[in-house]
Amino acid sequence: MQTIVKMFNTDKWVLPYLRRYKKLLALVIFLGFMTVFCGTALMFISGYLISRSAQHPSNILLVYVPIVLTRAFGIGRPVFRYAERLTSHNWVLRLVSDLRKKLYLKVEQRATTIRQEKQTGDVLALLADDIQHIENLYLTTIFPVVIGWLLYVVFAAFVGYFNWAFGLLMLLLFGVITIILPLASVALNGARSFKNRQLQHEVYVSLTDGVLGLTDWVIAGRQAEFVEKQTALMNQQVKIQRQNMQFTWWRDFVINLIVAGITFVMLYFGKVQFGNSFLDVNYIAAFTLAIFPMVDAFQGISAGLTDIPTHQSSLERMNDYDELTVTAPAAPTITRQAALAFKQISFNDVTFKYTNQQRNVLNGLNMTIERNQTYALLGPSGAGKSTMLQLILGDLQPTSGQINLDGADLSTLQEYRHDLFGVLDQQPYLFNTSIMNNVRLGNLQATDDEVKAAIAAVGLQDLVEKLPDGYATVMTEGGQRFSGGERQRFALARILLQDAPIIILDEPTVSLDPITENEVLTMIFSLLADKTIIWVTHHLTGINFANQVYFLDDGQFTMSGTPQALYAENAHFKQLLDLDTGVNNYQ
Amino acid sequence: MIDRRLFTMPGIRKTLGMLAVLITLQAFSVLFQGKYLSTSIVTLWQQKPFVAVLQAFAFFLVAFVCRHLLTVLKNYVVGHWVEKTIVKLRRDVLKKVGALGPKIIQEKGTGNTVTLALEGIDKTQTYLMLVLIKMFDLMIIPWILLAYLFTVSWQEATFMLAIYPVVILFMVILGYAAQAKADKEYANFIRLSNHFVDALRGLPTLKQLGLSRKYANNIHRVSEDYRVSVLSTLKIAILSTFTLDFFTTLSIAIVAVFLGFSLIDGTKALLPALTMLVLAPEYFLPLRNFANDYHDTLDGKNALGDVLDLLSRPTLADDKTLQLEQWQADTQLTLDNVKVAYADSHDAALTIEHLALQGYQKVGIIGRSGSGKSTLLNLLGGFLAPDSNSAQQITLAGQAVDHLQLQAWQKQFQYIPQTPYIFHATLAENVAFYAPEASEAAIIKALAAAGLTEFWQQLPAGLATLIGEGGQAVSGGQAQRIALARAFLTPERRVLLFDEPTAHLDIETEMNIKQAIVPLFANHLVLFATHRLHWVNQMDYVLVVEDGKIVEQGTPSELAQQNGAFVQLVADVNQLGGVK
Repeated sequence: MQTIVKMFNTDKWVLPYLRRYKKLLALVIFLGFMTVFCGTALMFISGYLISRSAQHPSNILLVYVPIVLTRAFGIGRPVFRYAERLTSHNWVLRLVSDLRKKLYLKVEQRATTIRQEKQTGDVLALLADDIQHIENLYLTTIFPVVIGWLLYVVFAAFVGYFNWAFGLLMLLLFGVITIILPLASVALNGARSFKNRQLQHEVYVSLTDGVLGLTDWVIAGRQAEFVEKQTALMNQQVKIQRQNMQFTWWRDFVINLIVAGITFVMLYFGKVQFGNSFLDVNYIAAFTLAIFPMVDAFQGISAGLTDIPTHQSSLERMNDYDELTVTAPAAPTITRQAALAFKQISFNDVTFKYTNQQRNVLNGLNMTIERNQTYALLGPSGAGKSTMLQLILGDLQPTSGQINLDGADLSTLQEYRHDLFGVLDQQPYLFNTSIMNNVRLGNLQATDDEVKAAIAAVGLQDLVEKLPDGYATVMTEGGQRFSGGERQRFALARILLQDAPIIILDEPTVSLDPITENEVLTMIFSLLADKTIIWVTHHLTGINFANQVYFLDDGQFTMSGTPQALYAENAHFKQLLDLDTGVNNYQ
Repeated sequence: MIDRRLFTMPGIRKTLGMLAVLITLQAFSVLFQGKYLSTSIVTLWQQKPFVAVLQAFAFFLVAFVCRHLLTVLKNYVVGHWVEKTIVKLRRDVLKKVGALGPKIIQEKGTGNTVTLALEGIDKTQTYLMLVLIKMFDLMIIPWILLAYLFTVSWQEATFMLAIYPVVILFMVILGYAAQAKADKEYANFIRLSNHFVDALRGLPTLKQLGLSRKYANNIHRVSEDYRVSVLSTLKIAILSTFTLDFFTTLSIAIVAVFLGFSLIDGTKALLPALTMLVLAPEYFLPLRNFANDYHDTLDGKNALGDVLDLLSRPTLADDKTLQLEQWQADTQLTLDNVKVAYADSHDAALTIEHLALQGYQKVGIIGRSGSGKSTLLNLLGGFLAPDSNSAQQITLAGQAVDHLQLQAWQKQFQYIPQTPYIFHATLAENVAFYAPEASEAAIIKALAAAGLTEFWQQLPAGLATLIGEGGQAVSGGQAQRIALARAFLTPERRVLLFDEPTAHLDIETEMNIKQAIVPLFANHLVLFATHRLHWVNQMDYVLVVEDGKIVEQGTPSELAQQNGAFVQLVADVNQLGGVK
């Protein structure tokens, strides 16, 4: 219970938006209220109508108003309901647009240019799901609860208008249904829901683990064990779900017992208030019959509130994305032209350490990057290669030491960053839009002809023009219809259009087979011959393209030099290169 | 609405029988509830003292409580059956996944398989809970009420009977119209709703291009387009609910007005009229309940369909009679005229005219990506079944078999893929996965052989340290060494299948790991698929695969002399090799 209150208190994703679209929200609530109101009023008026008719009024005009109202409410209910559903969806979807933009900007702040975790994509898809959850939070929880409570207050006030004592009694009895029982069920069921969610997560993790390792289970001949292991957890969950459901069934039963009580009180109220006057007795049926459609609307309150715990984790996850302050970079000390015409970039005693870690990722690195030279950077995973790239790009700042571009601190040049650097990584992303648009992302000002020229330069002209839709072909699912080598070439075309003087290559060929790798590397280095290139690679294919080779291990350079010199003088390098080329003793 | 296969599930008939009895009882409770509520109201209307109401109200109370008690009972009866069914379905799905093996994962993807086993079954559960009760309610309650209403006043009852098919007809017509419209817009929906995920996944790329901030407005715009598109579909889609609502509430209104007129005429008394009015909403209630959850149930029906489809997939029969001795220096596996072709998969098709493997051969399998190397390994590992053809002959240790998905065969080998899977478990459990009974000393020895002594000794809890997803991080090289330790721990598995084990490793890690792998080759039949040609130095036989065929096979030196596919491949791969 407290966690839910806390969740709403710290929330920055739901409440602010209630204010933003106030008018539309008021309309949704109004329409929702009118829907239930019409339903209730229909039974109320009908009850009155036939009671009054049974008194054989001398003139049909005496029941004319109830007749008209009966029809009006009969038509009003579905019409209001229809309008309410459209308006509420409209409101929620409008909100979703805002939420998406907001979430995107939050994630954008944190995203770094160099991909680090493989699973980022899944985490992000999860976030997209969370927005869906918030959508449901409104549609199934907030709206029905607010509308239900509004109706509850209005009805109690209506009864109170005739007799304040009964009004108070109604406030109390309906309060049990609309407030006490729903809140009690959240409190009572909260622990179980929490446990259920936990188990659900465990089941999910455990099954994913099992399925990912399925080959091993099968080869080890342990399939039966695999099934046992998974079902044991799942059966625990089944038990909790059973308790959950039984709780709901009995809760609804108790609600209905209270409804029976209310019916009794209402009959008594009818007798006391209206029972002794010929004309007033007709209201007895009216009031009594109105109870049932109203109780129907109150069912949504319990269901809605009980759903809160399921939305809770989504909301928590989204709110976790909220505490990041970014300091604006210092103003550049050199002009854009001067920066683009740089002569060298130098690392001076650069050390880097993440604030939450003990170990230095980079340890006093010195390195000079000359214009128009190619630098190959090798090392085992975790050696600090990605960190070096992030430092160069300005996504990270050195803990000590400087990285200078012609004497200017590189971190002050963030404004020019996209003019200075082009990046080609392992999995350049191809967006779900046309080939033309995808390549044009390199330079939004490029004309169609320039885009086509870039595509021709990477040798994809024939391939693209043979497609039924040509340049308008949509890249679905991250460009899955193209091979890995083709995808890299599209990304390369993008880089060509971007035309930055420094190109960062982050293992661009790691997932390609060696022959495709050769083709792609040859193309990259011939098209980018006039650029300064920093190339992270995991093996030595194409090492001839590099002017300098640096081996990084544990945050320090262990070997460096031209490939030729290293091959001649360094036994370890020679051994590696021989291994890489598969020097053949079988010939 | 209903999957027919539902009625073949065990226990369903008994459950439905009980359900029908309970619902019939409930229909009568509803009936008496309405009747006695009306009686109570009429009594008061006649200005009798309140005590006069008590008897009728007591009857109402009994009927009302019975009705809701029966609802709980219905839920218990169905809930019990659903739970049993779900537990069984889940177990069956897991068994099936285990029996189908890695093939199903390759085909459906890990995510989809997990989703099917978890969410799919959850949805099925909701579906079964909803559909049985609501369907039976609809089949029983309205008709009992209607029969009674005919005895009360046949005119209004006739009207209510007549309106029923009209409502359903309109719902069906509008439902179809909405479906057509939704289908038309569906592609658009998917594209727009995926747009956001697309942007998030592509964020690093957008950031690299300096477009990530600008793109935020694009997200908003596309999302707004999506809203407009959804609303236009929704306008029609919820029309069917509107119709239902419209006809049912209007019917109640019309019945009320009719009754009013006949009361004024004096042709009817208040009690029957009021009873009619009270029971009219109850008459429509089952239909409304059924329609409200229509979309949920449709979802659940599809989920159930998926689950049942998976369960009805054929599995290859394991030949339990097959007796296999441990692989020896003279054991043979021969394949003749074996074909694998599959319609909807990325893997290449494969045809093997003749392949003979014997004893402790070290066989390298080389070829370009997509040539069929992985298919060959999958076939040999029994993860894939060959297409049946009469000319096919597979002989394993002198016995003819139809395929290699055989427990007895799979117990003979170890499979080491490009990225071995590390379970979320302790290091010891991971290493001893293939030999759960292994002693700690044996595990330590295997770890030493794989070059992991230093690694495990540095772990916070040593062998008992949790590794894998969410535990201590393990690098690609270390994962590969853990897989090697598994192989060192099970020397009785004398066949080793390697699928590109070093492709993703950096060159120094690769060199170090090679030193741990090579000693493992002794006394093993080795099948080693790779792009990295230096491994050929450790092989004594090479298969060159091209376009789904073994185009060359022989010892490395034989092939080097042939100046054929092998020589060409070596030249292609090494184009950029060396230092000039």
